[in-house]
Amino acid sequence: MARDKIYIEEEFPAPMKQLWLTFKSTPVAIWALGCYVLLLLLAVFGPLLSPHSAMENNLDMLLMPPAWHVDGNISYLLGTDDLGRDMLSRLIQGTSLTFGLSIIVVILALVIGVVIGSISALSRGVKASLLTHFLDVVLSMPSLLLAIIIVAILGPGLTNVLWAIGLVLIPQFIHITRNAIKEEQKKGYVLIPILDGASELRVLVTSIYPNIIDKIIIQATLAQSAAILDIAALGFLGLGAPVALPEWGSMLANSLDLFYIAPWTTYLPGLAILIAVVVTNLVGEGFRHSLKLQKEN
Amino acid sequence: MFSFALRRLNLLFFTLLMLTLVAFSLNYFFPGSPIVNMTGLVNASDAELATYEQMYHMDQSLFFQYLAYLKEIFSGNFGVSMSTQSPISEELVTYLPATIELSLAALFLAMLFGIPLGFIAAIFHNKGADKTILVIAMVGYSLPVFWLALILILVFAIILPWFPSSGQINLLFEIEQVTGFKLIDILLSDSPYRWQAFLDALKHLVLPAIAVAVAPMTIFIRLARTSMLEVLESNYIKAARAKGLSNLKIIYHHGIRNALVRIIRDMGLQFANLMTLAMIAEVIFDWQGAGSWLIDSIFQRDYTAIQGGLIALASFTFLINIFADFIYAALNPVERYARHGT
Amino acid sequence: MRCKWYWLITSVIVFISGCEPTTNEESIFNDGLVYCSEGSPTSFNPQLVTSGTTIDATTRQLYNRLIDFNRDNYQLEASLARSWHVTNDGTMITFYLRKDVQFHQTRYFTPSRNLNADDVIFSFQRILDKTHPFYQSVRGNFPFFQSINFEQLVTNIEKIDDYTIRFKLNQPDASFLSNVGAPFAVILSKEYADQLLSEDDPAVLPMLDSLPIGTGPFKFNEYRSNALIRFQRNENYWAHDVGIETLIFNITPNNTGRLTKLLTNECDVISYPIAPQEIRSRENLRLEEVTSFNVAFMAFNTSKPPFDNPVVRKAVSLAVNREAIINAVYFDQAEIAHSLLPSASWAYDKPSELLPYAPEQAKLLLQDAGLSEGFTLDLWAMPVQRAYNPNAMKMAKLIRSDLGKIGINVNIITYEWTTFLGKLANSEHQAVLIGWAADHPDPDNFFSPLLSCSSARSGSNRSFWCNQNFDDLLAKALLTRNNKKRREYYLQAQELLTEELPLLPIAHAKRAQAKVETVQGNILAPFGGISFADTKKVTKEEN
Repeated sequence: MARDKIYIEEEFPAPMKQLWLTFKSTPVAIWALGCYVLLLLLAVFGPLLSPHSAMENNLDMLLMPPAWHVDGNISYLLGTDDLGRDMLSRLIQGTSLTFGLSIIVVILALVIGVVIGSISALSRGVKASLLTHFLDVVLSMPSLLLAIIIVAILGPGLTNVLWAIGLVLIPQFIHITRNAIKEEQKKGYVLIPILDGASELRVLVTSIYPNIIDKIIIQATLAQSAAILDIAALGFLGLGAPVALPEWGSMLANSLDLFYIAPWTTYLPGLAILIAVVVTNLVGEGFRHSLKLQKEN
Repeated sequence: MFSFALRRLNLLFFTLLMLTLVAFSLNYFFPGSPIVNMTGLVNASDAELATYEQMYHMDQSLFFQYLAYLKEIFSGNFGVSMSTQSPISEELVTYLPATIELSLAALFLAMLFGIPLGFIAAIFHNKGADKTILVIAMVGYSLPVFWLALILILVFAIILPWFPSSGQINLLFEIEQVTGFKLIDILLSDSPYRWQAFLDALKHLVLPAIAVAVAPMTIFIRLARTSMLEVLESNYIKAARAKGLSNLKIIYHHGIRNALVRIIRDMGLQFANLMTLAMIAEVIFDWQGAGSWLIDSIFQRDYTAIQGGLIALASFTFLINIFADFIYAALNPVERYARHGT
Repeated sequence: MRCKWYWLITSVIVFISGCEPTTNEESIFNDGLVYCSEGSPTSFNPQLVTSGTTIDATTRQLYNRLIDFNRDNYQLEASLARSWHVTNDGTMITFYLRKDVQFHQTRYFTPSRNLNADDVIFSFQRILDKTHPFYQSVRGNFPFFQSINFEQLVTNIEKIDDYTIRFKLNQPDASFLSNVGAPFAVILSKEYADQLLSEDDPAVLPMLDSLPIGTGPFKFNEYRSNALIRFQRNENYWAHDVGIETLIFNITPNNTGRLTKLLTNECDVISYPIAPQEIRSRENLRLEEVTSFNVAFMAFNTSKPPFDNPVVRKAVSLAVNREAIINAVYFDQAEIAHSLLPSASWAYDKPSELLPYAPEQAKLLLQDAGLSEGFTLDLWAMPVQRAYNPNAMKMAKLIRSDLGKIGINVNIITYEWTTFLGKLANSEHQAVLIGWAADHPDPDNFFSPLLSCSSARSGSNRSFWCNQNFDDLLAKALLTRNNKKRREYYLQAQELLTEELPLLPIAHAKRAQAKVETVQGNILAPFGGISFADTKKVTKEEN
């Protein structure tokens, strides 16, 4: 039996849902999100989708220009590199390295950062003050510089680069989580469960997290665009992925020698990086914009 | 002001402590014997090493070793580079100024173009100009600096032969190094070709400075835009408007000044960012700075150089941050009390 | 403040508007030459090195040797020695020196006398005499001279008079004159060495090799590691007037960077140009090539498994598709190496059996060696480009896919060049892609420095292969002055190498160089590095 509405029900969607509702209404943001999902799919299913092998040399097809060029070949849409490897396949498989790994790194950093941030928000005294100092120090340094320093310590290599970038991102998440939690703690709604006798942890999980998750996600998109650029930059400097892997940054560095005879091998990986970063930034921008609109209303 | 300064110095102390601790412990983590890693003397005989072990108190507990290490660091002794065997401090004095020079030039460009563009975007909020500028900012922010650098070289050095593609100056000009800042060194030198050399050095500076400036410029655009929007919505502007001041006057007299103060707050952070970008650009533009030096050292596993570079670069960016904080605090008294410890 | 701004703005306007160079500036650019080289020298004394980059930067710029090779017919010709004489039994060689040769005058040394016999004796004594302070200052590290067993060969160097010296040899050595003409056998100033000794501080002794004094066409001015070397004209050069006032070696390891600098005219000459098509397509650039006695090879480290087993070496050699390498790495500017010796050498003969590309056979051999499962191979690829190997990294990638087909999993390893060489000499590698550019046309120069037992000890034998039969053949070849007999021995030695395969010869390449058209005069030479002594810049009108 349907219950009669006895008073006008006012709906308060969860913050994430609110965010999504506003986000949906911005066309650019939706487009960007679509592209983002596409990149994600490429990262996961790249090897299945790519027409040729990304690692196998093909000596009959050295330096084939892209298909729109007079000497191009339609089965090598974006041409080949100096070892006859299909550029399109390499770029597609590079998605899972540059783009895919950046997501993994950001998620790990996010989880660790949120945990530490929550603990620090709940603790006081010397420990908290030490952490503040530590954060101030780390946050005042650019992420890439820190990553370079950490790679200098750990030694070059893709795994070390991921460690470095993860370590660099964690403080950002600690910082934002801690500040957000402290801000929420001052608000009235948190007081109610506390007065009801709920434990601090319970308050955190049931009341505070749902209200700060939007901020963390926005931070995550920022972190991811930085992570993509950093992975690529370190790859470019030769500190990251080994030469054979189709990581975009190291692809670009490897193709430098071909800059004049086969320019597509240089500008295509650069474009791939640019697109991935723009898409990530646009998604983040969409979220931020929506959040701002919500606040204004 | 006093307690503000005290807090900042406290932070500086903490940072240096952390940095030196990390650098010190690296000597033990890096392969090879700690004393060789500290001094960089890869070819030294055992007897020579023994005297150095004494100097670094290697026979005592880690704590005293650390103190001895600190003493050497603060007296400017970072050891010698493992690959070139010349003192790290000398190499730093040679290379760091070049990076700073490039970063300053880029900072200048980034502010010169970024801030006005940001203001324009704010004044035409939500109009065509605003949107165009935001799109430019988004793309500029996402450009990988190394790729941008290559494109700049291709377009402005090769297709259009306007600027040289690399280096700090045409090497045929012989300029004695005094400060390490090329432009200053040229002015200090007594070369008969001083003026041409100066122009040549400026030309060499253009492309790298643009490559480094683009990303920070977009950040300045956003900062300037947000600050100006905030200022324009504040009560004193509303009051000014109510008084009947023209829009132009309001923006000129109140808007720009107040927005600029906010921008300075982030200048320190941006400078650190610029230095990092400059380090990468150096590799491409063959710029003899700390960035390409550090990256070379990483490749050569030159542990003394890595340590020295770490301490120098990190403390330098940190000092710049604190410096910017002080300027901001001087300009904006409210900040002295509120900002720290949040 | 205001005036500063004004000044800045005018300067910006001036340089944007193209800033017409004044006459002064033109003279700087016309008398100066920028050569973009591929790497830093490891020393400023070629006695201490084997690396071609160091030879390029030092030998023919800063120094002279007693005798030299003719650029065209590869024959010996006079240099610091105006003539020489070999006794019939081949054990005594007398050199008669020029009397008009001055050493460099620089800010750190002023010579008081011309070159004489003392300088020559000093230059060789420091290599021979283990108690010599300048032997000890470099810990006796003279890799070239060690690889040819110089200290065993020469019993005595005698000063006949101020301008005559006589070498006494243990036994006749057919390659002795060629070795004295090699780019490593430069003549240093004894007076400069004495000046350093008089400071009574062992720490200044290495300056003999780092702040060089020689007799060559250029004087050393400044060196910044990984950045530049600045040379100044030697106004008192004994042979002829030097056309260039300031010679800069701009060290640019990056291939594209060098080409870019050539295209933008920041360099007048570049070493090892990539993209020859691009250079040929530009009117104001010239591409030059010279047949160069060199070989690129893959050396197997025979001192440790799995390459201590000749069967494994053979298997890997069969599996490498060298024709594809010639095509992809050298763009067909090289020929497949069937032997260490290039076919232009008089001691070369086509081997009876050429090594084929036969991966199937290679697999069978691996099975014989008990490695049918395959193994993981650390293949080292040198980080620099050389005439003999313009892109070792690419070569390594090709070899990786070749060896992948017979189940060998290849890791490519590389380091910065100096580190790389150090680690090679320490035998840290399994196999390495490297090569050799001959120092002089004598065939011995291909065998002794690369594969003799003494070179295995000094580290320049990258295979660490030591075979008594092989060494005996080389020794016999040196004892005879009869070229027909020598050739016979070298042919046997080559047959032995084809059987044993301590290294796999890959290619003999031409050495190329690109320059702007205003630079005239020969720079490339077939042996002993490059020389700017005869180079000058001409303006377009003169051209």
